[in-house]
Amino acid sequence: MVNSNVVKLVMLLMVASALLLSSCAEKKEAPLPIFGEKEVEGGDTIYHTIADFKFVDQDSAVVTNDTFKDKIYVADFFFTSCRTICPIMKTQMLRVYDSIQNEPDVLLLSHSIDPEYDTVGLLHDYAERLGVKSNKWHFVTGSKEDIYKIAQTSYFATAMEDKAEPDGFIHSGAFLLIDKNKRIRGKYDGTKEEDVNRLLVEIQRLKKEYAK
Amino acid sequence: MRSKLNAESAKMKVKYIPVAFGFLLFAFGFQHCLNKKSDSNISPASSVKQQQYYVHGEQLYIKHCSNCHQKNGTGLGLLYPPLAKSDYVDKNFESVICLMRYGVEGELIVNGKNFNKAMPGISSLSNLEIAEIATYVYNTWGHQRDSIELKDVSRILGNCKQTPITK
Repeated sequence: MVNSNVVKLVMLLMVASALLLSSCAEKKEAPLPIFGEKEVEGGDTIYHTIADFKFVDQDSAVVTNDTFKDKIYVADFFFTSCRTICPIMKTQMLRVYDSIQNEPDVLLLSHSIDPEYDTVGLLHDYAERLGVKSNKWHFVTGSKEDIYKIAQTSYFATAMEDKAEPDGFIHSGAFLLIDKNKRIRGKYDGTKEEDVNRLLVEIQRLKKEYAK
Repeated sequence: MRSKLNAESAKMKVKYIPVAFGFLLFAFGFQHCLNKKSDSNISPASSVKQQQYYVHGEQLYIKHCSNCHQKNGTGLGLLYPPLAKSDYVDKNFESVICLMRYGVEGELIVNGKNFNKAMPGISSLSNLEIAEIATYVYNTWGHQRDSIELKDVSRILGNCKQTPITK
């Protein structure tokens, strides 16, 4: 008698605490952080945003901030002849692509940091061989100066030439999550599967912010 | 007195639940490890030298090849051809040996699909390292070629016709 009562009590407690824990976790989901310096002007907080840009994608289409108006997007920096981290990044970005394929308000943007070699034609071939649609995943090329500048000052990603490196460039393998207000909301290591898992979850969290 | 004893034993039982649970988890984990299948097809009867080639070959493969061809050898889209299930790998042993050092460019048909992205050669690989990578590739993912001799690989490398491709 006593025996079964104790067991019942313990079980009840376990169920109760599990419920308590799960409800806590639900409430705790804070909005994603906003990266970069912020300034307060009057009553408004001004956040770091991605500067205006103008590049050309694999279809020779001009890609600017307007392409990403009212869109969430994931950005990265790579080059097609890279043998080091880029293929891993592209393997991982392909996972992101697969997961957002049917979501009209999420896009991908890959910048070539070797734009002289990575011509429109080469990027077109690359995207086609990867089997992705150009209205979903833009591969862009442009002036080297512009790309390096936007990498470093807007996306806080390293991108530069370095003849000492095996492929001639150093660049970060970061994936940047950008919200509909051009603000950086997440930074992930595009060479790590677990980090990209987090990105997949956080894209959905960011979408929820706009669903309200 | 008796009921107190019962209560004690009930407490003890409750205490053991997490312990038993832990053991169960451990047992599952252990079994999972045991069940973990290796992709290696190298025959256990092969020589110690061959087994060493295989182990080194795997490390070299991960360092030099897996970024593009993937750890599981599946390749990526039509960019990087697969090595795991690949008629090209099966039929072109000598070309595979040569392209590791000299690279390859132009059209390459693998499993009926057209690949056309230049692969730069890795000129830093020694004959032995190429033999080791070949031992790994040709004895993994369903391939089973077993013994790959350094002297054969060196002979093949001496007869490669390609000029090195750097980009």
